[in-house]
Amino acid sequence: MKLEEITAYTEKCFNGEPATCSLACPFRMDVRQLLTNIAKGRWSAAYKTYRTAVMFPVMVSRMCPRPCLERCQRLDLGDEPIDMGALEKACVDYVKNPRPERYTIPPKTEKIAVVGAGPAGLGCALSLALKKYKVALFDKEDGWGGSLRARDDFAEIEADIAFQFSGVEIEKAFGREIASLDELADFDAVYVATGRGGSDFGLAGSWDAELLSTSREKVFMGGEVCGVDPIRALADGQDLARRLEVWFQTGKLTSDALPRDCGRAVDHTGAEKAARVEVVSEETAMAEAARCLQCDCRACIDGCEMLTWYRKKPRKLAVEVYTDSKANPPIATHSMTRQAYSCSDCGQCKAVCPVGVDMGSLFRLSRQLRTHDAQYPRALHDYWLGEMAFHSDDAAFAYVPEGCKYIFFPGCRLSASYPDHVEKAYDLLASRSACGIVLGCCGAPAFWAGEEKLFDDNLAKLRGIWEGAGRPTMVFACATCESLFARYLPEAERVSLYSLIEAGDVQAKRGGKAAVFDPCAARDDPEVRAAVRALASAAGLELEELRNKGGCCGYGGQMRLANRKLYDEIVSNRAAGSELPYVVYCANCREVFAAGGKQAEHVLDLVFDSEPRPVPTIEQKRKNSLALKDALSRRLTGVGFEAPVSDWSGVKLVIPPDIQSRMDDELISADDVRETIWKAERDGTGFEREGRYLACLVTDMLTYWVEYEPEGDGFAVRDVYSHRMKFRQEV
Amino acid sequence: MEEWKCRKCGEALVKKKTVFDYMGRTFSEDLWKCPKCGMVFIPPDLAKGRMAEVEEMLEDK
Repeated sequence: MKLEEITAYTEKCFNGEPATCSLACPFRMDVRQLLTNIAKGRWSAAYKTYRTAVMFPVMVSRMCPRPCLERCQRLDLGDEPIDMGALEKACVDYVKNPRPERYTIPPKTEKIAVVGAGPAGLGCALSLALKKYKVALFDKEDGWGGSLRARDDFAEIEADIAFQFSGVEIEKAFGREIASLDELADFDAVYVATGRGGSDFGLAGSWDAELLSTSREKVFMGGEVCGVDPIRALADGQDLARRLEVWFQTGKLTSDALPRDCGRAVDHTGAEKAARVEVVSEETAMAEAARCLQCDCRACIDGCEMLTWYRKKPRKLAVEVYTDSKANPPIATHSMTRQAYSCSDCGQCKAVCPVGVDMGSLFRLSRQLRTHDAQYPRALHDYWLGEMAFHSDDAAFAYVPEGCKYIFFPGCRLSASYPDHVEKAYDLLASRSACGIVLGCCGAPAFWAGEEKLFDDNLAKLRGIWEGAGRPTMVFACATCESLFARYLPEAERVSLYSLIEAGDVQAKRGGKAAVFDPCAARDDPEVRAAVRALASAAGLELEELRNKGGCCGYGGQMRLANRKLYDEIVSNRAAGSELPYVVYCANCREVFAAGGKQAEHVLDLVFDSEPRPVPTIEQKRKNSLALKDALSRRLTGVGFEAPVSDWSGVKLVIPPDIQSRMDDELISADDVRETIWKAERDGTGFEREGRYLACLVTDMLTYWVEYEPEGDGFAVRDVYSHRMKFRQEV
Repeated sequence: MEEWKCRKCGEALVKKKTVFDYMGRTFSEDLWKCPKCGMVFIPPDLAKGRMAEVEEMLEDK
């Protein structure tokens, strides 16, 4: 993909752009930085920021009309704007050891004549002289200052001009009036800055207000002679100097005209009002500067633990997605792999962004681009891709009677954790309308892994079933399945199971309070959110809303293996959304909260009046899925289903609860343990010590180790662990 | 580690150079292994500690 195709993802993002005050500033000064420095009492740094922007601090602090004040976002809160005038003066007054700007760069050969030593001429001349161009500064008066010479405080302003020019090489041709531009034919460029009422050498008619160019080759014009105020004139002189540098180097005259107002304001909801502090000392200046809201949009970063964790700016991330797609380690390495795989793809960033930038889709793109790369860290998604393969093959089942109105698609996680609820829900639906059922995987693991082809192939299979059944309405129990169908099979009519269950169907009679935790995939589905609340209320629960809604429980994007600490932080934050027990309607949310110690029950536990149950082990989940397929197959087709049997299926294990819990956490199935032991026992391999054995099983992605000892007719498991890297077995 | 023996060869383990592969990279480390068949012994603290760190580092690169 091309860079611009990827940066288009964050094109609308305005994080890091100048604040409204900076856009309004004639000098485009970084006001946020200036005020940060002042607020911290860093007077030297503050002076440097100010001087670099305005060139002549004494002049500007006394004369700037400060259009920034009208754009200060404190006004939106009903406050007075930051007192920039007082703070600019404070920069000048409180700096201990002011220094003029200097660059250590090689001298240039181009010669520039600046006609007029007022603000416009001074800005242009000093800018170019600092960059080591050969500058001649002409003025008919016997000194610099132009219109400023008439001011009462000119002595102080002139002292600062002299200070900023001190040590800068420049030819001063004061007391010399230029009568004709022909006198300056030897110069590479001429800037006419003759001040108000000064000569325009007949160029006013051809003057380009944007480029400051004229019809005469190499001659430019700007400042008060063109009708602007002295501060604007100074800024114009600096702008022209920048353009001349580009022009000398490329021969192109460009305009970097930025808008003076972006028309945007940052959302300051929750910001506190703060009265203006009168600046009479360093301390009061610091307090006044601290009132700055530091306006910059950070909505997605503040709204997402993952973006906060990695602290990279959205636009920079888009560039890194591109550079990572071109990386060829070890020559050029990747820079944001871990972050790309740490995204839950929950849509929270897009929901909170004022311009709808979807960072999740950017991270998903990065994952997709990596699958074409030999460096794809597949181990981060391998377990879930294995689950997808299992549910799309061994555990897949479809019963679609002719003319059925609905197809119930419970989703693989509900089938694995709540097979009884799936049967009961199907019976409920079938008692009301002709209804089929499809057990399978929606493809979310492939979608989250960035495995596009795998996702497309799976979807094509599901589409085939749906079309073959006469395009009935799809009934979903899982918001992730439904959201993927909505996006990639939009022509299929969809309805949530929870909208079809009626209040009268709810069997549980509970009391007490609870909070509904909405899965992130139900973000854009107010109907299902309302339906689940109605069912929970029908069960007698008094519902309260969560403090912070919208975030993923932690399961989304399968980010757990990529960043376990972040995952734990997210789970803990979501669990803290309310002290009340949760009602959830996503089997994954339930599993995440149950494992994290947060009381949560599935809404179907209420509908079918079932006690909350422990999360099944990952082996039990597979068994549940196969048993569900068998039960449904027997009932609906009259033919049972025999689960495939492996050579090691009969190996009996005794797994202590603490090891079982660790295995589930590390996604190691008892079946993997069984296979490891079976092969070691068959081949007599591994290690032994005092009646205990340590066996090893190398698979495509993982190497499993099991420490065990024979017990009765089976094996007692003493430890289980795994690693991703492979060792070479060589002497 | 010294008390573990290779089940197949009956040999006591010795520390020897062991080559690893992951994410297209190869590197080696002195680890316990059977001097006869070369079977490598990976204890849990190595798998969950240093090896996990290196895996993560290589995935990031």
